[in-house]
Amino acid sequence: MTKNNEKVIMLGKIKISSRQFSILIAIYMIGSAILNIPAMLQIVAKQDTWISTIVALVVGLCVLPLYIYLGNRFAHANFTWYIEKLLGKWLGKIVALLFLVTFPAIVAILTLRNIGDFMTTQILEDTPIQAILIIILSVVIMGARLGLEPLARAAELFFPFIMVLLIVFIVLAFPHINFNNVQPVLENGLKPVLKASLIFIAYPFLEPIILSMLFPSVQHTEKNGKALFTGVLIGGFIMVVITILTILVLGTQTVSFAYPSYALAKLIRLGDFLVRIEIIMAVIWFITIFVRLALLFYISIVGIAQVLNLKDYRSLTFPIALLLVPLSLLAFPNAAYFQEFTPIWTIHALVMGFIFPLLLWLIDILKGGGKKTP
Amino acid sequence: MKRSGLLLCICISLVVFVTGCWNRRELNELAIAVGMGIDKSGDQYEITVQVVEPSEVAGKKGGTSSPVTLFQAKGPSILEALREITTISPRIIYLAHLRVLVLGESLARAGMADALDFMSREPEARNDFFIVVAKEAKASDTLKILTNLEKVPSVRLFSTLETSEQQWAPTTTVKLDELISVLVSEGKHPVLTGLVPLGDLAIGETRKNTETVKSPAELQYTGLAVFRKDKLIGWLSNEEGKAYNYVTNQIKGTVGYVSCPDGGSISLKVIRSKTKVKGSVNDEQPQIEIEVRAEANVGEVQCHLDLTKNETITKVEKWANEKLENLIEMTVSRVQQDYKVDIFGFGEVIHRSNPKAWKKLKDHWDQTFVNIPVHVKVNSKIRTLGKVSNSFLEQLKE
Repeated sequence: MTKNNEKVIMLGKIKISSRQFSILIAIYMIGSAILNIPAMLQIVAKQDTWISTIVALVVGLCVLPLYIYLGNRFAHANFTWYIEKLLGKWLGKIVALLFLVTFPAIVAILTLRNIGDFMTTQILEDTPIQAILIIILSVVIMGARLGLEPLARAAELFFPFIMVLLIVFIVLAFPHINFNNVQPVLENGLKPVLKASLIFIAYPFLEPIILSMLFPSVQHTEKNGKALFTGVLIGGFIMVVITILTILVLGTQTVSFAYPSYALAKLIRLGDFLVRIEIIMAVIWFITIFVRLALLFYISIVGIAQVLNLKDYRSLTFPIALLLVPLSLLAFPNAAYFQEFTPIWTIHALVMGFIFPLLLWLIDILKGGGKKTP
Repeated sequence: MKRSGLLLCICISLVVFVTGCWNRRELNELAIAVGMGIDKSGDQYEITVQVVEPSEVAGKKGGTSSPVTLFQAKGPSILEALREITTISPRIIYLAHLRVLVLGESLARAGMADALDFMSREPEARNDFFIVVAKEAKASDTLKILTNLEKVPSVRLFSTLETSEQQWAPTTTVKLDELISVLVSEGKHPVLTGLVPLGDLAIGETRKNTETVKSPAELQYTGLAVFRKDKLIGWLSNEEGKAYNYVTNQIKGTVGYVSCPDGGSISLKVIRSKTKVKGSVNDEQPQIEIEVRAEANVGEVQCHLDLTKNETITKVEKWANEKLENLIEMTVSRVQQDYKVDIFGFGEVIHRSNPKAWKKLKDHWDQTFVNIPVHVKVNSKIRTLGKVSNSFLEQLKE
């Protein structure tokens, strides 16, 4: 540990394999969205939510080339260096800091609050939310301090369990499917469907821009694009399946469930012996949310460390983690506010996850960066 | 070395203090509720909770006291009444193992929706209990009766309803999520199975009820309660209940008889049944077509028929079709005329098949429902004849 401190630990020094990168992204996409997305979409699109999810997945995949392009540009050094090169030193630093604070850091804050809210509504009703947040965050701090490699390896280990549990979940929910729940198709026209898909695109399909900052840490730079694509495809596909399943099983009544996927897990039973297994399903949520949170936290602090030219990002873990807890409590006062917050977040994510990278790309093109020379 | 010693100390002290006992609910601190009854008295809710007496249920030793205990409390809301029970009960009521929720008829007539919000909101309550209505009785009366075969009366109520739905079909099992989704639906009104306490209720409350061969007091499911939105407006008979289950495709197995032309009857065991309801709208006039496909086995023959001939089987099938068509048509028209509420979900069928027309129809759907023509077509197939082909009665009489 002491020797590591002397080295300058930056993203570029650490290497994970493209397979691990894909797995990280897939888990990232599932985490926290699996709790919120079904309810958020069904409020808007009712029985047509399944169309919205598919539209969102397709659009989400279409945005990826932009991120891959930018990611490949970051890969030569890192995100901050790239922005500084494009916008000049000081403007670049300010923009990079603003982006890091208003996108990955805020997503981290919201994710932390989501898991806290879920635990306090569904499982540990009387436990103070702070206790849950601090315990989760302490694991996240540990993960972030250990660095990306152990995190990626942990994700790689978790992945088979997540997949097996998800498949069990999906298969056991199958007998409850009722296709009447998705009829009539397009009753209220296309507008609510597109609105819902916009929500889904913004959360989480516009977030891979954050993950593309990890490009320098992946071994085979040329395979990064494919790895990102695979990860988003797997994660997005699981999200689509789970969301569609909640409508098919619970119907549009799910609007009144705060966590439809958990309500769905409660229905699962195999004969009379495999019942009440929803908490096992909740374990997948925890693991995915941990990976998501750890990635966001890691990327935020490493990015901030780069902007501030710090030697080691580790000195930032505790101060920023300390900020995260009160901020996540301040983020929204109650559960109702979170629902009203959805459209605002959609716009924010569009600006941060689409317009900002688009601008970067345009500036890059204008500066003649299209040629692949660093 | 010093560092690792310190770490070890911290770990040991953490093990002692952070054992995950924050919200612990020890089994011996919980009153496990298996049945819950809600009645209305004045503007207060009267809650009856049937709680398992663990020492009486566990193991083989039959104790001397009752296997369940009953707690009752009144309050302006369900939650308040439930918490008030803590003034009587030494343990907090734990709802996760609830088997039945009984609604008193007076509450059902006044409107049950308000009472249901608590059950859907409470994270502890699950979705796997049945909801029934105490017919011409208070919910509390039905939960007071002790039963045999199953020591815990609520568990017995649960299994009875499950079995009778599968084998006999005039009853229907309704769970909370189904009930709520029907309540909020614009094209369907709910029904719930009725529960009647029979016999000497005073003895039913004591252990004597389980000591005699024939219990003096029993609980029986009978008929379906018809609701207009959340208010009970009337009852369907057992036969009508069966027709309801045919229309809503909920028949898992049942028995029906057909009369033979020269006296006597044949009973048919329905082993599979599938119903398709199709809706169409012509010139703003909705129409419903019900198509039932049933497979049955011959269960009992009490008349003179030569069952070895295919011709006879076809005849019996035809009679069965006519009889079931008749039953369904009569039930539908009785609901249309007497209750004027769409319990069959025809509105939802129209909604699915023709959403545009539904937009115009939905505001006055119940008035429209009363007059819509319903065509029923039953197609039943007889598969096997049982252990014997022709009845021995054939030879006995000749």
